[in-house]
Amino acid sequence: MTTKSEPSAGQRVPIREGLLIGPLADLDRVRLAGCRCTACGETSLGSKTICPNCGRNTVSDVLLARRGVLWSFTVVRHRPPGNYKGPEPFVPFGLGLVELPDGLRVLSPIDCDVAHLKIGLELQFKPYVRKDPDGREVVAFTFEPASTGEANV
Amino acid sequence: MSDVVILGAGIHPFGRFDRSYEELGAEAAAAALRDAGLEWSQIQAAYLSRMYLPATSGARILRRLGSTDISIVDIEAACASGGAALRQAVLAVRSGEMEIALVLGCEKMPRGFMDPSMIYSPWQIELGMSLNPAYWSMRAMRHMHDYGTTELQIAKVAHKNHKNSVHNPYSMYRKEFTLEEILASPLVCDPIRRLEICAPDDGAAAVVIASAKRARQIGAARNAINIAACCHTIARYSADFRCPADSMSATAHNPGPTEVTARQSYEKAGLGPRDIDCFEVQDTDAFCEIEIYESLGLCELGEGGRLVDEGATGIGGASPVNMSGGLISKGEPVGASHLGQVVEIVTQLRGAAGERQVADAKVGLAHVLGAGGNCAVTILQR
Repeated sequence: MTTKSEPSAGQRVPIREGLLIGPLADLDRVRLAGCRCTACGETSLGSKTICPNCGRNTVSDVLLARRGVLWSFTVVRHRPPGNYKGPEPFVPFGLGLVELPDGLRVLSPIDCDVAHLKIGLELQFKPYVRKDPDGREVVAFTFEPASTGEANV
Repeated sequence: MSDVVILGAGIHPFGRFDRSYEELGAEAAAAALRDAGLEWSQIQAAYLSRMYLPATSGARILRRLGSTDISIVDIEAACASGGAALRQAVLAVRSGEMEIALVLGCEKMPRGFMDPSMIYSPWQIELGMSLNPAYWSMRAMRHMHDYGTTELQIAKVAHKNHKNSVHNPYSMYRKEFTLEEILASPLVCDPIRRLEICAPDDGAAAVVIASAKRARQIGAARNAINIAACCHTIARYSADFRCPADSMSATAHNPGPTEVTARQSYEKAGLGPRDIDCFEVQDTDAFCEIEIYESLGLCELGEGGRLVDEGATGIGGASPVNMSGGLISKGEPVGASHLGQVVEIVTQLRGAAGERQVADAKVGLAHVLGAGGNCAVTILQR
């Protein structure tokens, strides 16, 4: 179940190693990676060898849930400094903490009309491919409003 | 009298200057020495608090006062750098290794948002997570949702601090704004507005500390300010959602860094929040100050907004906060920030703060909090 993301088809790479799980060629099967500790029970974001809560190595990779709820958010009204890869010219966007049933809140851009952002909004994970000028295909992610009636998997 | 005291304090105004950091720092250090009535040659070690300056900045700055062979080290702990540096100096004096030390905070920073590569991973920058105010804003938004804190209450904090700054000659901005002007200023990250956040800038501040014994020997004990506590901590696991966090736990419930550092400091000083006459705290944004009221124990969790409405944190209130105008007015020259707060508290405890003086202030607290959950609290007593 913990097949690491591999830069196989189309030379795709994850935006950060250890953050995504699943075949990058098939985005429907890509999930956020988590680290669950059997000693303290904590689940944290990204693949790790040491639990950031208790410091033990009793951890294993898990797939984090696709759906969550907006716990808090802001609207970023200024272009973030540095190597921001969002739309140019800059468009204000939602940034939020998405609470997942796994017991953690993940910081993510929220892909929806900023006027619709509100705490409690149901969201779903959406990986996407970003083409960089050097030809690389980078798999990044956002969360978008959840389609109704879908099971929380 | 505690075992370590402040003998002298000096500050270079905070703002933007066409002067080198060496000039700013040397001026603040010389002012602190003058205030203490001591010569540079009497200093036995020096600590520089800085974040954005190059290597060995402390030695480069202090060489301007004369080349001695003392240990001079640079210390960095994000926004809490000044507290971390002061703490090292206090520990050194308390150890008996030395009797007199100088602690200098100095910074010179470019305009605008801080360079994100200092703090964030490349992928966070690419996804747009590199704006520090976004983190402050998400905490504000949740606090508003949970406790009914309002945009007006946040604006009232900014109003108070801008108003106080008019009387502080060391502040970058010294202009009072109406609540309407504050609420009409552009949103940076909802719900935080332009007139409610601090800007990076330049500045320097310094103190000379000594053992109480040495202070008595040189006849300086009467005017000395006691360092009742000086603590620095870093947030426990997921205890603080602040840059550059990429997630937080929904199940761990560790106390936040301000709560932990304040508790340690109160315990060391043998004092509680009600015993403190004046506070200087990290108002990187106006909401943050409300959150800090709660974490310092000035009120219960969720009651910070009410405290603002009651005017309790104004200069004439029960718990005056940011008499200097706070970071919102002074700016945040990161390494100099805490030392600047300490200089303000020393000035208050000496009754020398003029129009911004808190009547009969005997005990004051300075608090900083920043990246990675770095937090420092210093309690001073006359």
